[in-house]
Amino acid sequence: MSGAHDRKRYLTIFGVLVLFTLLEIGVVYTGLARGLIVSALVALACAKAAAVALYFMHLKFETRVLRVTVGVPMVLPPLYAVVLMLEAAWHAALR
Amino acid sequence: MSDAATATAIPGQKPVPHFGSASYGKIGMWIFLITDGLGFAGLLIALAVLRAGATQWPPNPEADRLGIPFTAVMTFVLICSSVTMVLALAAAQDGNRKQLLAWLGATVAGGLFFLCGQVFEYRHLMHEGMTLAADHFAGTFFVITSYHGLHVLTGVIYLAVMLALSVRRPLGPAHINLLEIAGLFWHFVDLVWILVFTFVYLIPNPATGGVR
Repeated sequence: MSGAHDRKRYLTIFGVLVLFTLLEIGVVYTGLARGLIVSALVALACAKAAAVALYFMHLKFETRVLRVTVGVPMVLPPLYAVVLMLEAAWHAALR
Repeated sequence: MSDAATATAIPGQKPVPHFGSASYGKIGMWIFLITDGLGFAGLLIALAVLRAGATQWPPNPEADRLGIPFTAVMTFVLICSSVTMVLALAAAQDGNRKQLLAWLGATVAGGLFFLCGQVFEYRHLMHEGMTLAADHFAGTFFVITSYHGLHVLTGVIYLAVMLALSVRRPLGPAHINLLEIAGLFWHFVDLVWILVFTFVYLIPNPATGGVR
């Protein structure tokens, strides 16, 4: 029955989300290098966001056109953020 | 949701080319969520730029300290409410009204719990001297989290209306479609919080560790 199959999938995704959230909090309290901590946190957050979008918002089961319609605009902000952060850091270094 | 479920056509609606069985409402909600997502992205980018340009973040380590454990509980509750939302949709697809009402009610309760937690957190932070205009850290924190909080409030109201409609309405494709659209908004609210939790709370500041 498709409903039961879906529920199993939903609960699996729930487990992943909780596990990744615990990992995130664990990472913050480790003494790792700052760059490693930030990279790990960003990667875990993006993975969680993707899991919600693909499985809870059912993007995985939509057509390619709808996925592209949603996906392409979401690529632009991170690129823009990196450019602006580099520029801001460069200004800070000049001071 | 499996392929069979998304193939539910809405009576009277012609499929939109290239969008498969997605209804007009679902496509419209997705387009709205993209624009809303870009709005949140703008706020998070502003945070990133202010932070990248700051010699120390947070500027006032004594006052600007966020509670990670408390916020982690709120994050867990919001994740749970996303799960109850999809379980509510699955129940509706199975024609199980009792389960639908139970899961949808749990989703609304989760949203209310999150909002109450946010009010509690704000009162605590302000009591410790972290106010909106104190510095860039506090300003970006309150703007981003309250903007998200308004979305949670909107979602709670939206789902409460869907809960009321679900009491008597026939659980046909049209109502399931409305539930799915409401679910998209609620999952979006959860998705945004996942990013806010990481970028605002978790990414520490080298000077103070930014963690309490």
